Amino acid sequence: MNFTKYFHSALLAAALLSLGTGCSKKLDQQPFQSINAGTAIQSAADVETAMIGAYSIMGGGALYGTNFNMIPELLASDGYCSWRGTFQGFRQIGSRNMTRDNSEASRTWIAGYRAINAANIVLKNLPLVTDTDLRDQLEGEARWVRAMMHFELVRLYALPYDAAVTNNTQLGVPIMTQATLTETDAFQYPARSTVQQVYDAVIADLTTAIAKLPSSNGTRISSPAASAFLARVLLQKGDYVGALDAANAAIPAFRLNAAVLAVFTNKNTAESVFEIQQNDQNNAGVSNDGLATFYASLPGVGRADVRMNAGFVGSYPAGDLRGSEWYYVGTGARPGNLYCRKWNSFSQNIPVMRIAELFLIRAECNIRQGTTVGATPEADLARVRNSLRTNSASIINPTLADVLAERRFELAFEGYRVHEIRRLKQSTGSFAWNSPRLVFPIPQREMDANTSLVQNPGY
Amino acid sequence: MRRLLLTLLGLFFFAGASWAQLREVTGKITDSRTGAPLSGASIKVKGQNFSTVSVADGSFKFNVPTTAKVLEITSVGFKELEASIGEGSIAVSMIEADKTLSEVVVVGYGTKIKRDVTSSIARVTSKDFQNQPLNSFESALQGRAAGVYINQGSGKLGQGLTLRVRGISSISANQQPFVVIDGVPVQGNSLGTGGEPDNPLATLNPDDIESIEVLKDAAAAAIYGSRASNGVLLVTTKSGKVGKTKVSVGYFGGWSDPTRKQEFLNADQYRELFTAAADNMGYLASEEFEFETGTLDWNSTNNTNWADQAFQRGSINQLNFGINGGDARTKFLISGSLNDQKGIILGNRLVRATGRLNLDHTINQKFKVGMNLNLNRTKNFRVSADNEFSNPIQLNALPPLHPKLNASGNPNSATLYYNNLIDQISSFNNGTTYRSIASAYGEWNINPYLFFRSQVGIDFTVYQEDRYNGKETLDGAPTGRAFSNNVTSIIATNTNTLNYRRKYNDNHEVDALVGMEYQYGEVKESSVGAIGFPNDRFQKIASAAIIESGFSSQTAYTFLSYFSKANYKFKDRYLLGASFRVDGSSRFGTNNRYGVFPAASVGWIMSEENFLKNSRALSFLKLRTSYGKTGNAEIGNFSSLNLYSATAYANLAGIFLSQIGDPALSWENTNQFDIGIDFGFLNNRISGEIDFFYKKTNDLLLNVNTPATSGITSITKNVGDMENRGIEFVLNTTNIQTKDFTWTTSFNISTYRNKVTRLVVPVNPGQRTLGRLAVGQPFGQFYGRKYAGVDPANGDALYFKADGTTTNDYGQADDMILGNPNPDFYGGINNRFSYKGFDLDIQCQFVSGNDLYNIAGFFQSVNGDYFDNQTVDQMAYWRNPGDVTTIPQPRLYEGNGAGKSSRWVQDGSYFRVKAVNLGYNIPKTTLRRFKVESARVFAAATNLFTFTNYNGYDPEVNATYVGNVNLGHDFYTPPQARTITLGINLGF
Repeated sequence: MNFTKYFHSALLAAALLSLGTGCSKKLDQQPFQSINAGTAIQSAADVETAMIGAYSIMGGGALYGTNFNMIPELLASDGYCSWRGTFQGFRQIGSRNMTRDNSEASRTWIAGYRAINAANIVLKNLPLVTDTDLRDQLEGEARWVRAMMHFELVRLYALPYDAAVTNNTQLGVPIMTQATLTETDAFQYPARSTVQQVYDAVIADLTTAIAKLPSSNGTRISSPAASAFLARVLLQKGDYVGALDAANAAIPAFRLNAAVLAVFTNKNTAESVFEIQQNDQNNAGVSNDGLATFYASLPGVGRADVRMNAGFVGSYPAGDLRGSEWYYVGTGARPGNLYCRKWNSFSQNIPVMRIAELFLIRAECNIRQGTTVGATPEADLARVRNSLRTNSASIINPTLADVLAERRFELAFEGYRVHEIRRLKQSTGSFAWNSPRLVFPIPQREMDANTSLVQNPGY
Repeated sequence: MRRLLLTLLGLFFFAGASWAQLREVTGKITDSRTGAPLSGASIKVKGQNFSTVSVADGSFKFNVPTTAKVLEITSVGFKELEASIGEGSIAVSMIEADKTLSEVVVVGYGTKIKRDVTSSIARVTSKDFQNQPLNSFESALQGRAAGVYINQGSGKLGQGLTLRVRGISSISANQQPFVVIDGVPVQGNSLGTGGEPDNPLATLNPDDIESIEVLKDAAAAAIYGSRASNGVLLVTTKSGKVGKTKVSVGYFGGWSDPTRKQEFLNADQYRELFTAAADNMGYLASEEFEFETGTLDWNSTNNTNWADQAFQRGSINQLNFGINGGDARTKFLISGSLNDQKGIILGNRLVRATGRLNLDHTINQKFKVGMNLNLNRTKNFRVSADNEFSNPIQLNALPPLHPKLNASGNPNSATLYYNNLIDQISSFNNGTTYRSIASAYGEWNINPYLFFRSQVGIDFTVYQEDRYNGKETLDGAPTGRAFSNNVTSIIATNTNTLNYRRKYNDNHEVDALVGMEYQYGEVKESSVGAIGFPNDRFQKIASAAIIESGFSSQTAYTFLSYFSKANYKFKDRYLLGASFRVDGSSRFGTNNRYGVFPAASVGWIMSEENFLKNSRALSFLKLRTSYGKTGNAEIGNFSSLNLYSATAYANLAGIFLSQIGDPALSWENTNQFDIGIDFGFLNNRISGEIDFFYKKTNDLLLNVNTPATSGITSITKNVGDMENRGIEFVLNTTNIQTKDFTWTTSFNISTYRNKVTRLVVPVNPGQRTLGRLAVGQPFGQFYGRKYAGVDPANGDALYFKADGTTTNDYGQADDMILGNPNPDFYGGINNRFSYKGFDLDIQCQFVSGNDLYNIAGFFQSVNGDYFDNQTVDQMAYWRNPGDVTTIPQPRLYEGNGAGKSSRWVQDGSYFRVKAVNLGYNIPKTTLRRFKVESARVFAAATNLFTFTNYNGYDPEVNATYVGNVNLGHDFYTPPQARTITLGINLGF
């Protein structure tokens, strides 16, 4: 035993420990393809990218990329189309046998509120934008996103708005207007507002958006386009006066294409009020999601999961180009049956609204009120049925039934069907317009996570 | 940092060297039983740092200080002894040690004599698995290591497998053990983007491995701190041995087939069932079939056995060589292997080439250096994920009425679902792994008791995925689609330890260690996808018209750790052990950066006590117990942060809030208690171990669901608890031992009972799956509607309600517990016989009491609900009122009995003759003429027989695409392979 030996050991042990001190800084590792939230939004440009983020979420399959478009069709598929695919979620929707854990009900709810939060984050960060034009534009866009998401959600997750009732007190969906940025924000437990409150909030946001948005905004939402959506919302709640005004405000900004298929095969044509932008890289899906995936039966495109009913396709007037251009006998998956050509390519843009709808809203409102504000119903119908476009004869003195039939032909497979049946208090198969079976469940995951929520009847 | 180390090293080198007068001693070492010379024995001056090793003829020669009096001589397998230094050559005759006691086991940062181990460690050595066609080396543990549950999942080659040590210790973090190869932590996680995990460990050559130790209890594992909760696999590769250079060459080859197949309807049965199904609903079967398939095949004469088309006869060929030798100062091992396996599933193949150089060199009395260098290349021709239409097994869904080929002789594309035989013509999906695991170390014997060791290790893996789907395929149509992905993973580790080992007198022995370790891990990835190829002969992205995706990403983590352990032995029978580790990691939240993981153990070798020492029957008895804490740091690299990520909207780039994190996020903690007995009777002819363990895991990482109305669906937090308890029993017996004949048996059986004890929100089964997590229930418990058979009156499917009555309305039925995918017990039994030159090794393995759920039942065993071909049992369908059957009346499209339910839950117990190896060692007298030292010919079989009541493909199944909560789910999952091989090993 000697002193040096212990001295060595002690020194070595000390040296070992000191080895680590240089490394301890390395314990701060930042991610490479994400940015710390604290520094993510610091400038006007950052706020704008956050706005793009909201559009991106909206374009996903859970929202306008598929579900807001396809689910209203499947929910009212009787004598119209049928779901033939293996996806359980859609199968349940097609058979109106949704369970609380329906995967589509779950993902649409989640994505809808994610888009709402993206909009709320933009609104919260508006003070960073010093340019007032840009600030107004971003505010308008964010409010429009927030409005449309609440509108689409309340239409799917709540019993329908009944125009005959002054206060629609049936439960709607939670209205979210505050941005979630922290853990505390995330653990808030909002209750469902009434359907009336949701519609009021939607209309308020849209009204502000129309005022703030520029008259044109590239492929993003513009003031006239926001008016067009307001027209749709007001029509849904039976406010024909308001819908007429809003449609009138929007119509001058758009015009119909000469060919009925052009709006679905080209991008951002004149007919389009607003469309979801897609390209080869960024789209709602090419194999398990996306409209073309489910609708198409073309070589290499589509699963042919939504099959058209021959009776419905045959109901188009003889020679109507819409009947022949928009439907075809499948040549890809499940060939030999009828499919809809509106959704034909993974990378096509998805029109969320076309001007044809505005003409039909105006015509309907004018007929209902016996007015000719903006144009006569005959003229509006003639625009839609334009012989070059559809090769169909014009209708003299059209009736309400004519306009509604025209809506069925013109807007088929664009996400109207069940909403139309509800607004007109019709029925689909054995389901009445207000059947709880046509209403999505509040997702089980949401019921588990938020005890303030009340489930829809029947679930 | 490095400069400091070098300075210190230099300082100690000069200060520590002491010079003395030397003289030469010589001697010879022999085996007392056979008289044969013993090479490789270590000869060391007692109490001083002078040592050498005996050479091939048993002799040794080295210089010792003139003051030296006694030599300590040790050799593996022999009792340690001392010899005094006199004049002239020293003759030493060594006595064989009792193997059970002298066996050396590898432990964290060192080795230990098994006799002195106070923790629970399972050990499998090369002799247990040599010459077996293993999918991946870990599969050698199946049925051999008590407490280790392995499910190979499917018969796909190179596929990730499920390995659980002592139950399931995590929900959302990794559940696989931490893998350390020769002291280097390695990448064990799947690197690919494919639908199913690849297994990066499948690149290693099992023949390079000397032993695999599984550290099971806290006392063994806690030295690995925050990564030890799932157990630790310590893999030790072979090293060079002192003596004449030995060259060995081996080859084996063979063929393989599925262990089991499933039977589906033939054309007549199919027509009968679907005619009934259509009639019952007022449809015309032929018309519906035409609508659904777009073909007129209903009336064809085809009778295609689609299910069989998924398989091919597999084959395996392996060639390997090894060169190994060394002298007192330098030892080396060089090995190489080439292994080519063709799987049993269409298109599946794995080609593996490996090379290794292990080198140890003693510079002088003070310094020793060494390195292990390992290079591997594996090319895996992969099979699609279970849930893809391109998975060959899904062919069994096609109606037998469709022809296999169309009129022009190509695979028929006019089928109900995609005919993925088309994929075989113009598609490939390859994963190529280039991997090097290398380490270098230096050891410094500062003085006879104090050792410093520094090791730098690196695991460098490049994984390349290359896919092409032809124009005619489902995934490639209409213009062809290619995808190329390149992943680079680096794990670099620097470990420095200081070890103090000393035996004070016969009563006290101390072994203590302090150390630090720094680890940096990084994964980089880049990929490109493209469509638009001129034709299917152009398959590289350079030929594509449209680039449809491009991607690159990077992630990294660091660990900084300090650790210490100490073992103390008193009077050769009282054993104390303690360890302590502090882990800091970039993965942990800023408020919780360092974790502390202590463990302690005690052991008592009762058989050394006077009251037992003279027992004739009892030869060894040790009681041991341990308690300690380990962690699980596989929690994601950045889970604790609030993050924005990028997202694209057509051509515009945006950002969105992608994650809200918990700044207090930490590793998961597991406290484990273990108590065990090691025993030996009749001179250890009967020996074994019994262990009881209790593991309590706290702070389980769970995604706590937030109301989605917040825009965020979950936040990762430490909020769950779970426990596992179980018993392990190992029994080794030498049943017969005569001069020519030996028969030994090893048996092990283990249990674990898992229970989730705290959850914020239950994890409910998915739309197609049954697995759930609920407080008070085992992990992955099956939960859902309980099938009650068929109403004899009308053929309706019935389900149970909570009150025990039945209903034909699926919606009115209640959810209940349907089964448990965890086994009641599992284990293995090994019998080894040797007679003269022959040896026979039979390894069996069993799992009992686990339930399986066949998700595909909804498609294939659903009494003709849709036109998928059905399993033959469906022919027992209800036909007339009064029929008693479990198969409801067929009703096309109607969903009679189609709801997710216990209808497709089955007992998954099985007993399998896992590996049989029959060998013959050709006598040396015969070999001498051919200048061959040794030769062994052998025949081997893997998965030779499987006994089970499961009527799917194979009871050892675990579809991975459904996630880790859904254990024991089967979804068109390919069965295991039964492989027969013949081979030869030659030694020169």
